[in-house]
Amino acid sequence: MPDVQALVNDFVNQLKKRKIEGSQATAKQTAEVLRSVISQQRVPHTNQAAALINAVRAVGEQLIAANPVELAVGNIVRRILHIIREEDLSLATAAMAGLGLSVASDDEDDMERSDQPILSAAAVAAAARSTLRPPSLQTLLEDMPDSAAVPHTSSSGGDSEGKSRSVDKGSRGRKLKHDVIEAVNELIQDISTCYEQIAEQAIEHIHQNEVILTLGSSKTVLEFLCAAKEKKRSFKVFVAEGAPRYQGHLLAKDLAARGLQTTVITDSAVFAMISRVNMVIVGAHAVMANGGVIAPVGLNMVALAAQRHAVPFVVLAGSHKLCPLYPHNPEVLLNELRSPSELLDFGEFSDCMDSASGAGSLHIVNPTFDYVPPKLVSLFITDTGGHNPSYMYRLIADYYSADDLVVKGRPTTGS
Amino acid sequence: MGAPKKSGGGGRVSVTEDSDELVRVPLQAILLADSFNTKFRPITLECPKVLLPLVNVPMINYTLTWLESAGVEDVFVFCCAHSKQVIDYLDKSGWLSQPNFSVTTIESHNSVSAGDALRLIYERNVIHGDFVLISGDTVSNMSLTQALAEHKERKKRDSNAVMTMVIKRSKTNPAIHQSRLGTDELFMAINPDTKQLLYYEERTDLSKGVMHLDKSFLADNPSLTLHHDKQDCYIDICSPEVLSLFTDNFDYQHLRRHFVKGLLVDDIMGYKIFVHEIHSNYASRIDNFRSYDTVSRDIIHRWTYPMVPDVMNYGNTATKLERQGMYRASEISQSQTAVIGPFTVLGFGTKIGNNTIISDSVIGKGCKIGSNVQIKGCYIWDHVTIEDGCKLNHAIVCNEVTLKSGAVLEPGVILSFKVVVGPEFVVPPYSYVSLLQQPVEEDSDEELEYADSTSVITSKVDKSDEEDASEVPEARISSVSELGMGGVGYIWQKCEGSQEEEWRHSVAPIPADKISEAMKTMEDDLELTHDGSILPPSGELIPDSNDSDEDNEDSRDDFFEREVEATFLRAVNENIQEDHLILEVNSLKLSCNKLTADCAGAVFYAMMKYAVDTPHSSLDGLMQNVKAVLSKWKKALTSYLTDIDEQIEIILKFEEICLESAKEFAPLFSKILLYMYTEDIIEEDAILSWEDEKRDADEADKVFVNKAQDLIQWLKVAEEEDE
Amino acid sequence: MWWRSASFILDRQQNDAALRPDTSSTVTPPPPTESSSAMGLPTDHNPNISAYYQTRAAHHAVVTSDWLAQAQAAAAVAHDPPQSTSTADPDKPFSVIDVFNNWRRQPDLAEAVAAIRALAAVIRSSQASTMMQLEIELKKASDSLKAWDTTSISLTAGCDLFMRYVTRTSALEYEDFNSAKSRLIERAEKFGEISYKSRKIIAMLSQEFIFDGCTILVHGFSRVVFEVLKLAAQNKKLFRVFCTEGRPDRTGLRLSNELAKLDVPVKLVIDSAVAYTMDEVDMVFVGADGVVESGGIINMMGTYQIALVANSMNKPVYVAAESYKFARLYPLDQKDLAPALRPIDFGVPIPSKVEVERSARDYTPPQYLTLLFTDLGVLTPSVVSDELIQLYL
Repeated sequence: MPDVQALVNDFVNQLKKRKIEGSQATAKQTAEVLRSVISQQRVPHTNQAAALINAVRAVGEQLIAANPVELAVGNIVRRILHIIREEDLSLATAAMAGLGLSVASDDEDDMERSDQPILSAAAVAAAARSTLRPPSLQTLLEDMPDSAAVPHTSSSGGDSEGKSRSVDKGSRGRKLKHDVIEAVNELIQDISTCYEQIAEQAIEHIHQNEVILTLGSSKTVLEFLCAAKEKKRSFKVFVAEGAPRYQGHLLAKDLAARGLQTTVITDSAVFAMISRVNMVIVGAHAVMANGGVIAPVGLNMVALAAQRHAVPFVVLAGSHKLCPLYPHNPEVLLNELRSPSELLDFGEFSDCMDSASGAGSLHIVNPTFDYVPPKLVSLFITDTGGHNPSYMYRLIADYYSADDLVVKGRPTTGS
Repeated sequence: MGAPKKSGGGGRVSVTEDSDELVRVPLQAILLADSFNTKFRPITLECPKVLLPLVNVPMINYTLTWLESAGVEDVFVFCCAHSKQVIDYLDKSGWLSQPNFSVTTIESHNSVSAGDALRLIYERNVIHGDFVLISGDTVSNMSLTQALAEHKERKKRDSNAVMTMVIKRSKTNPAIHQSRLGTDELFMAINPDTKQLLYYEERTDLSKGVMHLDKSFLADNPSLTLHHDKQDCYIDICSPEVLSLFTDNFDYQHLRRHFVKGLLVDDIMGYKIFVHEIHSNYASRIDNFRSYDTVSRDIIHRWTYPMVPDVMNYGNTATKLERQGMYRASEISQSQTAVIGPFTVLGFGTKIGNNTIISDSVIGKGCKIGSNVQIKGCYIWDHVTIEDGCKLNHAIVCNEVTLKSGAVLEPGVILSFKVVVGPEFVVPPYSYVSLLQQPVEEDSDEELEYADSTSVITSKVDKSDEEDASEVPEARISSVSELGMGGVGYIWQKCEGSQEEEWRHSVAPIPADKISEAMKTMEDDLELTHDGSILPPSGELIPDSNDSDEDNEDSRDDFFEREVEATFLRAVNENIQEDHLILEVNSLKLSCNKLTADCAGAVFYAMMKYAVDTPHSSLDGLMQNVKAVLSKWKKALTSYLTDIDEQIEIILKFEEICLESAKEFAPLFSKILLYMYTEDIIEEDAILSWEDEKRDADEADKVFVNKAQDLIQWLKVAEEEDE
Repeated sequence: MWWRSASFILDRQQNDAALRPDTSSTVTPPPPTESSSAMGLPTDHNPNISAYYQTRAAHHAVVTSDWLAQAQAAAAVAHDPPQSTSTADPDKPFSVIDVFNNWRRQPDLAEAVAAIRALAAVIRSSQASTMMQLEIELKKASDSLKAWDTTSISLTAGCDLFMRYVTRTSALEYEDFNSAKSRLIERAEKFGEISYKSRKIIAMLSQEFIFDGCTILVHGFSRVVFEVLKLAAQNKKLFRVFCTEGRPDRTGLRLSNELAKLDVPVKLVIDSAVAYTMDEVDMVFVGADGVVESGGIINMMGTYQIALVANSMNKPVYVAAESYKFARLYPLDQKDLAPALRPIDFGVPIPSKVEVERSARDYTPPQYLTLLFTDLGVLTPSVVSDELIQLYL
């Protein structure tokens, strides 16, 4: 499939050159690329899910390596892997349910009958379930299928019916692919509508005559504030400019254009203003599994100021920003150091960097992100509602399979 | 050959307009994968400059990556020296098979300059629209869109705006008169409103803090800003005419020294060069070892983002950026006791022993560094072995070099490929060491001189060296070495000229005493100027400079004559009125600082040349041609022949023509002279005083006087008769 | 979810029913020296030293003079029980505690594993013919095990975990009793392997968190933490370790020895120098005796203190613990634990009037922990409680 490969390469190139900005755009494009990977993938008769997973993994690995700092890529890759697993499982259980059993499965029963023994079907279902769950105490003692469990699952599902009806497999494969693509489409849909879904909740959080503070610019925040404005709430917004890129200026312009009373302050004035603020609302680059936030630089300071004055610190994040990884050494490894020219004019300071003549050794560091530890965050608002930082892992467990945490090979657990 | 637009001015306007409007021409670029100089010797004897690793990535990758991300779709890589290596590399690294980015290589073995390269590319006829001209050692992250839009806009308004140069502010060191890139101080005059480049001078003469501008230059340009804090990025956006200009002016070699200056002094054609200054973006060319060091540092300090080691990973070895600008690739095995300082890059699979201290350095792939080694400010390429206890200080160490235990590299040392330095051997500062012997003295001298002179140099040196490289004789390795026990390689002799200046372009930081010395001289200079004159100290303006050295004088003569000839030819071909021709020649005269007599000579020369070039079958035919030309363009000629000296100049010139360029005139000498006399181009006084002048000359010089003897006699007789 | 619903209450009733008639009679004959079972404390060893502590001391090979003296005294009173039972009295009725003690001697085997192996032995020798009977037998055995050493958390946790597994899986999935039984035995045997593997998994998970150039503070000797550091050293990570001394049994000395063998730069600090050195430290790594429902940990004395210091200096505290150490406990404060006592050698005689705090462990509340590395993955403390609730609810 040379055309898909070209598509992937092109996307990888763009990621590498940091041509795509913003996690939403990245997430959407990732999903689209992977969708075409899936639709182009030839599915064998057995282990369809495994074939799809391997294909997505292979591509996903390239994409993640292209820009390891843009966590949205990895998130989407993992979510699509999860979708494949889930669809495969629901097909398997549906098949099982179709076998005329009263196993506690809830899906459609459009599949044919069979006379498989009840218990083995239940065992298969249970085993299949366990692959979707993260490893837990419950499974500790069980005969856990190893991490390449999905092939096992689908094949065991296939085995149970395989001998009698091999015709069925083809249709199942097509159905699986079809379902997966449907689900990915839904995911893309979700990503593109996440603004609205988050903004819908604005009215519950912003009250009359409140003062809101934000830093830098985030489309999510803009939509959120505007949604509250549209509902006839009147409130004031302080916008910290967000040095060095000063995107706060743009946000202030947009807000003012929509009739919100907006005040621009410098980043360094945040602490001075925070006592007058009722709530801090900011966007995020990514939300880690422990509830920590990778956010535009400067936000840690804002969060600390907010904590000092007990001002709620609210983070808006679409679900594509939820990352199943834990931050380790976040200041360094999950950061992107951009060009110092955003801070200083090269020409003006070039004599201070003339190391050859010993005229000086000026070093400039321009990190893009801050890590805000979970204890500084009061509330997360995602497209599914508001959540406590300590609850984030739960959302993540819903969206991702434990097997996919490491997209590269993962050490097998269990026997 | 680009037949349709051979004459400089011809169809160029229509061509660009058409292509602009009708077809979207993909943005093209010419990448010169050869620097056409010898500043990176001895390394470049074995490896092309563009493949030298810059922070562990071959330089050409930076240029190509930039071109690709700047929206260039079509790149022609011109390979000359070591062309095979370049092409192999491009093929291997996948650049030749990019989907939306076509890279085409053009190979040449006899080009010795950028001018030759561009002429060759013109012949290939592959450039169809505006293009980016860049050399393969440029690192940039600028966005081309604005510069390109400005260029196109100007081009639409003024078809003579053929080139936009990218410049960047960068202060020079006032004491030592060189930029942080190790290049000479650059003076530019720019029209602040139109951004037109009016003056471009790289000052190589460091002795005087004086700069000369023509009086008329100031008069012609009511507003201009003079800069000496700008750095030329060597990124040019050119219109296709640039190529034809190179072809028309076959002696243009150097892009700046000849081409840019040529266009700037040429008032006739009216070609204009503009500048585009970049502020937040980065662009630099690696011209010498000093800029290699500076640009490497800029990359490590991330000025070139996103072209930084952790983002731009070629191959599959990811590099991670850790605290304090430490870049580490994977699979590094480092002793617990080794100390790696900030702003250091460690390549894939490198091993570092106990108590080794590394700071401000770049270490390549697969190096083995022993214990108790000190490395400071060095560039160590791939697969280098450094044994215990070595000390390296501001050196460049190429691939597969071995330093035996206890070896010491003093600042500024360059070790070329596979050199072995013996144990406890101290390599003296600023020395170049290579397995290859230094090219023979005069060759290298010539080559080095080439950088400063205009004379055409053959590339034989390079070629022969290349062959040498392939057959590294075994004898050399076994020979008793200059590099200590078991050492392999030759320490090159320093050239006399560069001896005291070697610190300027080396990788090592400039020694403090040099700077203080320079500071002192600068202060002295300042005092002098303060005492001596009221002129501003920054740059004394002396009108009508004529003190350029001999070389320049000659070249200017040549240049002027050629220009006049070209102007004349154009006038003939395009039926331009005589008045206009005179105007153009006049402006040329002004710009080249010529006397009227020079003009007369040049115009006459051009006419004769034209007459000779017009097809003729016999001497009679030639005579007819001469008559036709002279009668037609008499006015142009006579306007310069206001006094007798100028007429004599013409006769002398004619003599010269007959002797040298067009011997066909020799038999017709007296006839033409007579014709000119009868046509009132030359007065009899002129002829007589010419004869007078020649009277004392030796016989060889008198050939033509003798030939004209009849005429002279007749004139004398006529004179007497008159009396 | 089906396994969450029914059985818990039932369990409890059985539990209560099983507990009352227990200790002195029926299935598990009392251990040789058992006499005062009412106390709930085993008497086969010095009452001043918890069995937990003994195991620790034995496994970690740190022998204080004081302990040695006491142990010798104890040995004089009663012969070392498991050995005597297993070898000298082959026809003696089966005792789960003996088996447990036998397994416990193996230096690399965790206590929970020993407990599960012991329970497997119960299954093997069981005469029960239905699942229900087997469950009752197991319950009794596990209760007696737990009662034998109430201070050992992982013993309790291991028993609970296995019981949970038995009640949940077996009855539902296998109608055939014998196959269910053999399956249970097989799983129990494999559990040792699982515990060994989980250390490897934990070591692998934590690698990413150890960055080059970091300084790690560790407290006491924990096999898991050692495994983590060992793997990091094998991966050529550059880091340095501060080991606390780990008074009074000085387990830190052993860790520093082992690390020095691996060429890891290591520095010993006395326990009271933790705050002094904390500003140099990048992260704190501790093991755990048990992970409790709140997400906090119970670990060697001093852990709480270190976590407090680290928290006040904003340094992360990482816990490495196998998931079988997750216990159904919810301590509200330090005194809410069964104290595990240990001897303390002050070097000089202590007047009898002076009271000595001899507890060997403390409880570190979850808010002072950053992350837990377990074989279930990297977890925040709140996930731990979630896991526990899911399993036992």
